[in-house]
Amino acid sequence: MQVFTSVLVLTIFFLAFIITDIRQYKERKVSSMKTLAHVIGLNSVSALEFRDNEAAKDMLLSLKDNSPEVVHAEITDKDGKPFASYTRPGIPNVNTPGVVSGENVQLTGEQLFVSDNIINSNNEQLGKVSLEVGLSELEETKKAKYRLAAVLLLIALGFSFVIAVVVQAYISKRLLYLINNMNEAGKTGNYNIRIADEGKDEIGTLMKVFNKLMQQVTESQQRKDEFIGIASHELKTPLTSIKGYLDLLNVVEEKQPNKQFVQKSLDSVQKLESLIKDLLDVSKIQSGQLQLNITQFDINALIDETIASMQMISASHRISRENDPGPLLVSADRQRIEQVLINILSNAIKYSPGENKVVVSTKNTGAELVIKVRDYGIGIAAEELTDIFERFYRTKDSSVHISGFGLGLYICRDIMQRHKGKIWVEREEKGSSFYFALPINKQ
Amino acid sequence: MLKRSLFLFLLISFAVNAAGQVEQRESDLKAVFIYNFTRYIEWGNDTGHEFVIGIISPSVIDRSLTEISKTNKVGNRRIVIRHFSKPEEISYCNILFIPKNCPFPLSSVLERVDKGTLTVSEEPGFARQGTAFNFIVINDKLKFEANLKAINAAGLKAGSQLLKLAIIID
Repeated sequence: MQVFTSVLVLTIFFLAFIITDIRQYKERKVSSMKTLAHVIGLNSVSALEFRDNEAAKDMLLSLKDNSPEVVHAEITDKDGKPFASYTRPGIPNVNTPGVVSGENVQLTGEQLFVSDNIINSNNEQLGKVSLEVGLSELEETKKAKYRLAAVLLLIALGFSFVIAVVVQAYISKRLLYLINNMNEAGKTGNYNIRIADEGKDEIGTLMKVFNKLMQQVTESQQRKDEFIGIASHELKTPLTSIKGYLDLLNVVEEKQPNKQFVQKSLDSVQKLESLIKDLLDVSKIQSGQLQLNITQFDINALIDETIASMQMISASHRISRENDPGPLLVSADRQRIEQVLINILSNAIKYSPGENKVVVSTKNTGAELVIKVRDYGIGIAAEELTDIFERFYRTKDSSVHISGFGLGLYICRDIMQRHKGKIWVEREEKGSSFYFALPINKQ
Repeated sequence: MLKRSLFLFLLISFAVNAAGQVEQRESDLKAVFIYNFTRYIEWGNDTGHEFVIGIISPSVIDRSLTEISKTNKVGNRRIVIRHFSKPEEISYCNILFIPKNCPFPLSSVLERVDKGTLTVSEEPGFARQGTAFNFIVINDKLKFEANLKAINAAGLKAGSQLLKLAIIID
């Protein structure tokens, strides 16, 4: 595009230049030939007056050396009869140029005809001088100019191509750099990146705008995190109080259906509490305040306990353990690992309505213990496999209506990362399998 | 102007048509030449009302010059023809025409000529003997010799356009 534009501009420029130049050349030629005709006229006044056609002829002969472009020259007397004439040597007999009628300048293709009246000091017209001028020189000049223009055009083309390539590379490099950064920001969720660019052009501006945008995103995220932290904290305090009173009421109330109402309220409060707990955890993760309380414990015992307690609250599903290899000590935050397990188990139950089977199995690879929770539920779309671990991610499948903030797996992933472990999900023919791997302490 | 040119042309044509009158035709041409000389000569400070052409008579040129004088002027000056039948009669004139076969020796004529007078002759060798211009015929063409010393001596100047056509005599 750049190259095309420059070629177009240069072509127009060169054409205009050449046309103007040739026109000027013609004008100069016409004017100089008119002058020449006039001078010849002036010089032949006396020759005409004294009928001396030899003198006139001699004078015309001097054209051979002084104005070789004159092909033919003729002086006629006042009756139009030839008085003296000259033809450039080597030129076959040409038509007399005296035919120039009316106008005393006539430009046809490669020939220029000029004529001038010969007038003596008494203003009497004595005759006429006519010149025929060959313009082959003009054609040569024209050709030379076009050649020069073509060569210059080629050089300019080369230059503009080189410049375009260089500029293209420079632009592409920076754009790719920007795109990479944007992709990375999108992938990692780290909006704290800033791009350094020295360019003063539009791309430089784009980079600056990107940086500003990133800053705004970071700020708004910070505000959101702060808000979540404060809000969850403020919500938790009165909720704790409500829960305390409901617990109390649950103990003292004997009458039905009041006791049932209290228990229902208590259930809801517990749900609410766990939601707020999640929010608080997220807030802690974001601010880096989540601390692990590492102890040594038997992971298999923890798994069994958790399954048992989950089984208690779930009436619809049967959670089974496929294998039980006996006690295995690990160094981890017992409470947090339990939290992960509960989260995954409750998801397995939540997302398999109408089914009744959840299977837990473990596998010791020596370096780590992989815990697998298999459900036979609605499964996860392939494109959502990585997204589900993101903060506030809810499935896009509109047929699924399950409440929650979408924080559970995010917290799980963070906990596993803090344990230097992993968490992932695999699609199954029916339902899905969640895995999390915990490094085994060899001590 | 055009009329005058036309007249000159007609005059010449007439002369050409009149077969046999070769001499008359030549005289006509000489008269035209003499008139044309007046254009190329700087006549100095002489600014009389009349431009006098003297002719040592008799001469066939008389008729031709008289015709020219009727319709032409030198600058703003009327042309007057004067006839002198012997050298003693020669008085003021701007051009003095000395015809061929003049019965008087040239020296006696030149003696009588004032400064400021252009002498024109038509006898081979006269230019060398002191006339300013002398008509000769070369290859059937009328030409003229110019004696620069004589022109200078007369206090006159001849234009280069005239001199380039003349045969210069030193």
